[in-house]
Amino acid sequence: MLLEVRNLTKRFGGLTAVSDMSFSLAQGDIVGVFGPNGSGKTTLLNLISGVYLPTSGDLVWEGRRINGSKPHEIAEAGIVKTFQNPQLFGELSVFENVAIAGHLSLKRSAGWRRLATLLPRRSSDDELAPQIDRILRLCRLHELRDEAAASLSYGGEKMLGVAMALMCKPKLLLLDEPGSGLGHDEIANLDQVLRDLRDDGTTLCVIDHRVGFLGNLADRAIVIHHGAKIAEGTPEQVLREPAVIEAYLGRGYA
Amino acid sequence: MKWLLLWIPLALVPAAVSNNVVLTVLIFTFILGILGVSFNLIFGFTGQLSLFHAAAFGLSAYATYLSMAHWGVSFWIGMATGVVFVTLISIVIGTICFRFKLKELYFAIVTLAFSELARLVILNWTSFTNGSLGINFTLTPTLWLPGRGVVPVAGTTMWYYLSLIAVALAVAFYSRILHSWMGRTFAAIRLNDALADTLGINVFRYKLICFIAGNAGAAVAGSLYAFYISYIDPHYFSVDQSLAIIAMALLGGREYVAAPIVGAFVLTALPHVINVNAEVRILIYGLILILSILLMPRGIVGSLVRRRRAA
Repeated sequence: MLLEVRNLTKRFGGLTAVSDMSFSLAQGDIVGVFGPNGSGKTTLLNLISGVYLPTSGDLVWEGRRINGSKPHEIAEAGIVKTFQNPQLFGELSVFENVAIAGHLSLKRSAGWRRLATLLPRRSSDDELAPQIDRILRLCRLHELRDEAAASLSYGGEKMLGVAMALMCKPKLLLLDEPGSGLGHDEIANLDQVLRDLRDDGTTLCVIDHRVGFLGNLADRAIVIHHGAKIAEGTPEQVLREPAVIEAYLGRGYA
Repeated sequence: MKWLLLWIPLALVPAAVSNNVVLTVLIFTFILGILGVSFNLIFGFTGQLSLFHAAAFGLSAYATYLSMAHWGVSFWIGMATGVVFVTLISIVIGTICFRFKLKELYFAIVTLAFSELARLVILNWTSFTNGSLGINFTLTPTLWLPGRGVVPVAGTTMWYYLSLIAVALAVAFYSRILHSWMGRTFAAIRLNDALADTLGINVFRYKLICFIAGNAGAAVAGSLYAFYISYIDPHYFSVDQSLAIIAMALLGGREYVAAPIVGAFVLTALPHVINVNAEVRILIYGLILILSILLMPRGIVGSLVRRRRAA
């Protein structure tokens, strides 16, 4: 197992945002986490990526406990998350945004040799630029390479968030509602990018409250409601479960 | 590359100008320029308003002189002692501030407190530092010159070239850092440190590196400044000095590595240009600073570059 989530619980004061949740992710999965708004999806991703500390329970990544690790340590271990509201370095160009995200790549490939690139006539960009261009092309952002990130459309910003996460070369990519706010073409584009990624061997964990987009993409679905897991299986199976229908539509439809 | 050409006329100034006032203003500009440029690494590029910069400047001035006086080492070893001492202090202060994730005004206030602490130690440790009376130097730096052997650094022309080379090296050093992946990392911390963290950047480590690298520049400037005027006293640490450093960065422009040198020039030259009595001079001086920051929020260099791009 790549990632095992064991009895994970997060309380904020009196509110239990994630309650005794357990599941696991295997290499190459595309797992969809469904749930209505406020069901604890984003909190779950923030726990896995180290933004929040769990109240109890364990996160085991490649056989090693990682709860308590800082976000940058978790990113370095191979888990990278995108944000629901795109987080970017607005003043900088699209290229520079992705170049910043190349920090880990450079660290892994060059190690201490990175310091040599501070000497005149050597630039770390020589190493990074081909990777950056490949990722921009994959995310269909290459024509916007030199635009300021702040000038992108909402869909472009979300795509740039994915491009930056990819530049970290994650083993597990956590996507927080990547499709929300996107137009029809942008969704199709995103869908294609995520499939390409899976074919590259990246494990994906995507959360969304809209069943349509994610239902098509995911191999496996986990449904959460009020912070607890209420169903797990293939998307078709899960969507037939009475508990899931009740969570989405209310008791009368179950 | 074209920026490199700007150094050439500066190197020719002593040949063309024999007026000592002009050369002296430029020497102060260069030495204080190192202070401004190194401060701007922390402030303009990484977004941390450090008020410890004047203290790093002063501590190194004292460390340089005292190590020379007590251990009999040369000026350059003394300067290295100052840089090492400031680096160690920066590691302690930086670790405290960045572990506790102090940002913005909280970081400014805590670094100001450390700066005051340093000033009070220097002020009150009279047996070692001579307290508020300061120390008049009897020692002079020496320099090995090809063909002339070891000579004392004395006279305006020699100081002019020494400080010019020092500021050019400082600009080269900081621009290499800033135009590399490390500079991008600093920009990431300034613009969105939570995002930098999720992208695998160790924000603590890079804030600390930036704080140390910036303070090391202040340390070099402190050693040079002290030996140029041959005098140290606790005023090096004053809040005025910290504010003057901020003014250099704002006046010159925060976005360009060398721009604070222009700010340093304005601050050094203005008092000589405004030729009226002291009280009125301070008033005019203040007004010019306020107006230029209001009218040129991107600094002098920033506005010039924009105007050229627009034209």
